[in-house]
Amino acid sequence: MSKFKKWLTMGMCALLACFVAVGLVACGGSGDSGSGDSGDAGGSDGTGKKVAMILDGPVNDGGWGASCYDAMCAAAKDHGWTTAYSESVDQADWVTVMQDYVDQGYDLVIAPGNQYTSAVEDCAKANPDAKFCIFNDDVTDYDNIECTMPDTVQIGEVAGVMAGLLSTTNNIGFIGAMELDTTLNKIQGYTEAAQKVNPDAKVTVAYANSFSDAAKGKELATNMINSNNVDVMFGDASIVDTGAREALEAAGAGHYDIGQPGNIGSEDNAIIAVSVVTDNAKMTNQVLDDVENDTFGKKTIKGDLANGCVYAGTISTKICDQETIDKFNEYVEQIKNGTF
Amino acid sequence: MEAFLSSMPEILATTIRMTVPLLFVALGELFSERAGLVNIGLDGLMTIGAFTGFVVGYQTGNLWLGVLCGAVAGIAVNMIYAFCTVNLCVDQTVMGMAINILAPGIATFAYKVVFGDGSTLVQGVTMDKVAIPLLSDIPVIGNAIFNQTLLAYLCYLLVPLCWFYFARTRSGLNFRSVGENPQAAETLGINAVQMKYLASIVCGALAGMGGAFLTTCYTSTYATGVVAGRGFIALAAVIFGRWSAVGILGSTLLFGFFDAVQISLQIAVPDISYQFFAMIPYVFTIVALFFFNAQKGGPKANGKPYFREER
Repeated sequence: MSKFKKWLTMGMCALLACFVAVGLVACGGSGDSGSGDSGDAGGSDGTGKKVAMILDGPVNDGGWGASCYDAMCAAAKDHGWTTAYSESVDQADWVTVMQDYVDQGYDLVIAPGNQYTSAVEDCAKANPDAKFCIFNDDVTDYDNIECTMPDTVQIGEVAGVMAGLLSTTNNIGFIGAMELDTTLNKIQGYTEAAQKVNPDAKVTVAYANSFSDAAKGKELATNMINSNNVDVMFGDASIVDTGAREALEAAGAGHYDIGQPGNIGSEDNAIIAVSVVTDNAKMTNQVLDDVENDTFGKKTIKGDLANGCVYAGTISTKICDQETIDKFNEYVEQIKNGTF
Repeated sequence: MEAFLSSMPEILATTIRMTVPLLFVALGELFSERAGLVNIGLDGLMTIGAFTGFVVGYQTGNLWLGVLCGAVAGIAVNMIYAFCTVNLCVDQTVMGMAINILAPGIATFAYKVVFGDGSTLVQGVTMDKVAIPLLSDIPVIGNAIFNQTLLAYLCYLLVPLCWFYFARTRSGLNFRSVGENPQAAETLGINAVQMKYLASIVCGALAGMGGAFLTTCYTSTYATGVVAGRGFIALAAVIFGRWSAVGILGSTLLFGFFDAVQISLQIAVPDISYQFFAMIPYVFTIVALFFFNAQKGGPKANGKPYFREER
């Protein structure tokens, strides 16, 4: 073998070893998933308890996943618990990853969505002493499962009110990732509320079939704007919503978005008129309370406008005039009181 | 039908945009397969290109540098594939899958190293579009075709260049001969191993650029899953395009078209379930592969390990 080939082989082996080493650290043993240990969120007065979350998408999705992860961290900080998470976990690995956390002695494993329900039930049956929490579901049959459930119809209604008030073309849009029950509830609330405040409002609904394909979100929104003259949009598809916002921005003045589930807007935001915030932290805090007080299981913690777990975020004064803001607040109050 | 026809201008514009990343990657795969290397790791190469392109573009503010670094990152990762399949004669399918698993893992890890272990979605900027004077004013098709980013124009320009390279140059002929029969090519003085490495470099670079296009021209952010299986669609496009640059342009445009159709029809015909439209690109992929199967017309030594000393 020539000297060149020897060097080539050695070089490639070194490169391969580096990549494999980095890859093994990054992959966490399953597909392209990653995991993280956020450490002791509670500081010196930690209780020694541990909570973990599994996510089927990235933790920095700018939407639901990020909101849930932040909620876990905030609640853990309040209670002095340690946190960990696994992101982009393939469906086939959900049970395995949850079982890993159980085996490592985690006091609570959170699955942030009803798509995990079946896997959580399997894991809960196999580990009666372990505790599991499902966000966005209403499972009350198990001693070791507790759920949190924001009022998704109300979330849609708050967004629909703003969309109905803002739209000048009377065409508003909604982009979902999948046809989930929670998404359908939001569409229902969004449509009904928008048409209540603006009887001429027409709603265009489309699905990206993905939570992470921002390019698809951009194309869906661009098509809605150009074909159906949509000028206000609301989405339920995490990173896909980011693409939709870019399309609205590219369409120019008079095109707005309604954000969720975090408070992602600001007073001077030119695109996001308002966010419909789901305060997962508040609900997660109650779950952690239940674990500590030994009152965990067989219940669902509801979140809505009345208990402050759902609320309207910062309104952009750059987009909304005072009259619109007053009307919006009035309608939100009516939704809260059940008189809308 | 009326809804379909009225949506045509929008469908056309969407088709042109959605074709670009597919075309970049499919042309890369063309080089790889013409040298006998079936690289199914395109999704992974795109992912590393998308990540690197975004990070470098975001940190430096120079999106072209981002695209360049995306290409270099694609090459670096594809060198693992090249070394294992060319030197070690590892099964190409297995190695491609390994790349598909490894590359997103590296990207996720590196993202956290660069941006920290938080939940914030970092957003940068995208390249500006450049409208070609006069041509972009042509009714219906003008704005759709002639108002793109420079990288998109470059991508379409690669098609005639690749065609010319494979059909009209000695080097291109050498390339093809390696894909057909590397032993015979070597007897004519062509270094088959060198050609396979060159193919892997081009494949890695173009796949990386395809990924970088997604995060520097299409959207302004990177997150795991942003590639969304486009590498596999590109793989099918190469077979459907009969291993020729012009054929690949046609097949990627068709794939882009059907993707655009499902987007537009979802919006234009809301009464039909979206799942029906969502399956259109995949049904087309299956049909395309059924009628244009890999056994006919592909390079003869495609996917086969090359043992230089073997008779």
